[in-house]
Amino acid sequence: MRILIVEDDREAADAMERGLTEAGNSCARAADGEEGLAAARDGEFDVMIVDRMMPKMNGVQLIETLRREGDQTPVLFLSALGEVGDRVAGLQAGGDDYLVKPYAFAELIARVEALARRRETGSVQTLLRVGELEMDLIGRTVSRQGKEIDLQPREFQLLEFMMRHAGQSVTRTMLLEKVWEYHFDPQTNVIDVHISRLRSKIDKGFDRPMLQTVRGAGYRLDA
Amino acid sequence: MRLPRIFRTTPFRLTLLFLALFASAASAFLAYIYVATAGEARRRTDMEITREMHSLVAAYDRAGTDALNQSLIERAASERPFLYLLMNKDQKPISGSIQESPVEKFNGPIQWTSFQVTDQDSQGHTVKHPARGLQERLSGGQILFVGADVGADEAYVNKIVRALEGAGALVIVLGLAFGALFSRNVTRSMVGLTEVVDAVRNGDLGARAKVRGTRDEFDELASGVNEMLDRLERSMAGHRHAGDAIAHDLRSPLTRLRARLEAAYLDVEAGRGDPTQALAQALEDTDGVLKTFGAVLSIARLQAAGAAPDPVLFDPAELAADISELYEPLCEEKGIDFAAEFSKDLQVRGNREFLAQALANILDNAVKYTPKGGAIMLRVRRRSSGEIEFSVTDTGPGVPDDDRDRVVERFVRLENSRNQPGAGLGLSLVAAVAEAHRGRLELAEGPGKVGELGPGLRVALVLPRPA
Repeated sequence: MRILIVEDDREAADAMERGLTEAGNSCARAADGEEGLAAARDGEFDVMIVDRMMPKMNGVQLIETLRREGDQTPVLFLSALGEVGDRVAGLQAGGDDYLVKPYAFAELIARVEALARRRETGSVQTLLRVGELEMDLIGRTVSRQGKEIDLQPREFQLLEFMMRHAGQSVTRTMLLEKVWEYHFDPQTNVIDVHISRLRSKIDKGFDRPMLQTVRGAGYRLDA
Repeated sequence: MRLPRIFRTTPFRLTLLFLALFASAASAFLAYIYVATAGEARRRTDMEITREMHSLVAAYDRAGTDALNQSLIERAASERPFLYLLMNKDQKPISGSIQESPVEKFNGPIQWTSFQVTDQDSQGHTVKHPARGLQERLSGGQILFVGADVGADEAYVNKIVRALEGAGALVIVLGLAFGALFSRNVTRSMVGLTEVVDAVRNGDLGARAKVRGTRDEFDELASGVNEMLDRLERSMAGHRHAGDAIAHDLRSPLTRLRARLEAAYLDVEAGRGDPTQALAQALEDTDGVLKTFGAVLSIARLQAAGAAPDPVLFDPAELAADISELYEPLCEEKGIDFAAEFSKDLQVRGNREFLAQALANILDNAVKYTPKGGAIMLRVRRRSSGEIEFSVTDTGPGVPDDDRDRVVERFVRLENSRNQPGAGLGLSLVAAVAEAHRGRLELAEGPGKVGELGPGLRVALVLPRPA
C-alpha cells in the first residue's frame, strides 16, 4: 500500500514510517498541511494519515480542500484532542476514521489496513464469503461448510465486521467503535467475551479455527 | 472628608433617598392639611361675618339708622362674638364695640380686612388677637363695620401647624435612626460576604460565608457564594490532584515497562533466551498505560469543560439496554447472574457517549468485585424527586458505611488511584461525568449479606430532571 503521512512531529512521523514500511507499505511524508496538499495532489495513495493540528494548514482544512477537489482517498485523522465534538468535526470534514494520540501502533496499523480494504470492497455486496464461511446480508444467515449457524443480532454484526476485514488485525477498540458505536476504551474482557461467544459458534465442531487472537493487537478472521 | 462607614453604605443612601421622598410627600400632605384647616376656619368666619352684616343691613334698610343703632347696642351687650362699628359718611365713629375702624382707606362699597384686636386675658394682661372684618357702605351713606375675633381659630390652626412640624422633625430623626440601624444590619450581613471575598482573593479558598438561617436574600447570597466556592474548590482540588494522580498512575507501569524492556535487551545482548515473552508483556503494559492516560485525559477534559459537551435528550433505558447487552456475556462468563430493570418513557439530557462510558465503568467495577455465584442488577428509574437514576447493585464486598462518603469524595478528587491499587480511574470518571451533568455519584449498601456474598454495593449515577 502507498501511504501518505502528513504529520508535523518528525519523530512521530519517523516511527510511523518505520512501522508501516516494515509492515510492507511504502510511505511518503509531508511535514505540514500545505506540503501534504501538494503531495496528495501529486501522488496516488491508498490511505492518508493526517495529523489534525499542523502549521500552515490544519488537517481538517487539508481534507476539506481535497474532498472538494474530488479526492476520495481514505483518511485517518490523528489527534491529540479526543472530544466527541472533535471526532465529529473530523469525520464531517471528510475523514474516514479518527485515532486519538497516544495510540498503540497495532491500533494504527489495523485502522490503516481497514481503511485501505474498505476502498477495495466499495461495491454493495449481498453475500460475504471468507473461506468456508458465508454470510447472506439480505437473509441475515450465516453458514460454514453449508451448515447454518444461528447468531444473535450483535454477533451477526460482529462477524460481518470481521468478515469485511478478513485477514486483517482488528483491535478491541475498533470493534467497540464500529460494532457498538462506543468511542471509549473497552475493558479488555468485555469484547473478548463477545468474541469467544462468536468463536464458539463459528469454530466449535470444525477442524480448524478461523477466528484468531492476535497478541497485542486484537483479533483476525482467517480464511 | 470621609464619612464614617455606616453613612457611606448603600442602605443608608437608600434610606436618605426614601426619607427625602417621604419628606416631600409628607410636606405636600401637611401643606394640604394646613390649607384645608386654616382656609376652612377663615371661610367659616367670613361667612358668619357676612351673615351678621346682612342681617344688620336688612334691619337698617327696614327701619333706618336708629333701629340699626339700637340693634347694635343690643348685640354688643349680648354674648355675640362680633365687633361692631357704625360710622358716618366721613368715617367718624357713631357707635359700636370698637373705637375705630381697622380699615384705613375705605373706598369700595364693601371691603374685607384682617387686623389685630386688643383684649385682656384672665390675668388682666393686654393681649392681641387676630381678627377679620367687613366694612360696608349703607344705602344712607353711613358705614358699617362688622368684625370677629379669630384668635381661637388661629390658635387652633397654629397648634396643628406646630404638631405637624413636630411630626416632621420626628419623622426625619426616626428615619435617620432607622436608616443607620438598617445600614448597620445590612452592613453586618455584607461584611461577612466581603470578608469571604477578600479571603478568597488572597488565596484562601476554604473561606465560607456564614449562613445565619434567616432565609433572607443575604442568606441566599451567602449559601450561593458558598456553593460556588465549594465547586471551585473541588474543581481546583481535582486539578491539583489530577497532576499527582497522573504521575502516580503512570509511574508504576512505566517503571515496570522499562524494567521489562531492559531485561529483554540484556537477554538479547547476552545472546540468551527469547525476548518475545518480555516484549509481549511490555506491549500489554503499554496498553495499560495508554488506557490510564485516556481515562485521565477524559476526566481532565470533562473537568476543564465544566459541562458535558453536546448534550442531547434521550431515553436512558435505551442506553442502559445497550450497555447491558455489552456486559451480559461478561457476567455470564464469570458466573454472575445479571439482571436489568428499566422504567419506560424516561428522558435525560446529556452526552450519550460519556454516560455510556460512565455506566460501563460502573459495571466494570461491579464485575471486578462480584465473586462467582453473585449477582449484578442494572436499574434505570425516576426518583420521586424527578431525578433520573442509573444504579448498579452488586453482591461484592461493598464499601463500609463510614467510608462511603469519603470514597465518593476521593473519586471526585481522583485520589482513589493512589489509595486503592487496581481500582483504576473508573469511578473517578463516573464522578466527573456526573459532575459535568450537574448530577452526582452515590454509593449505598447493596442487598445485604447472604452467605458468602454481600453486603454488596449500590452505585448510583443520579442525573437532574431534564429541563
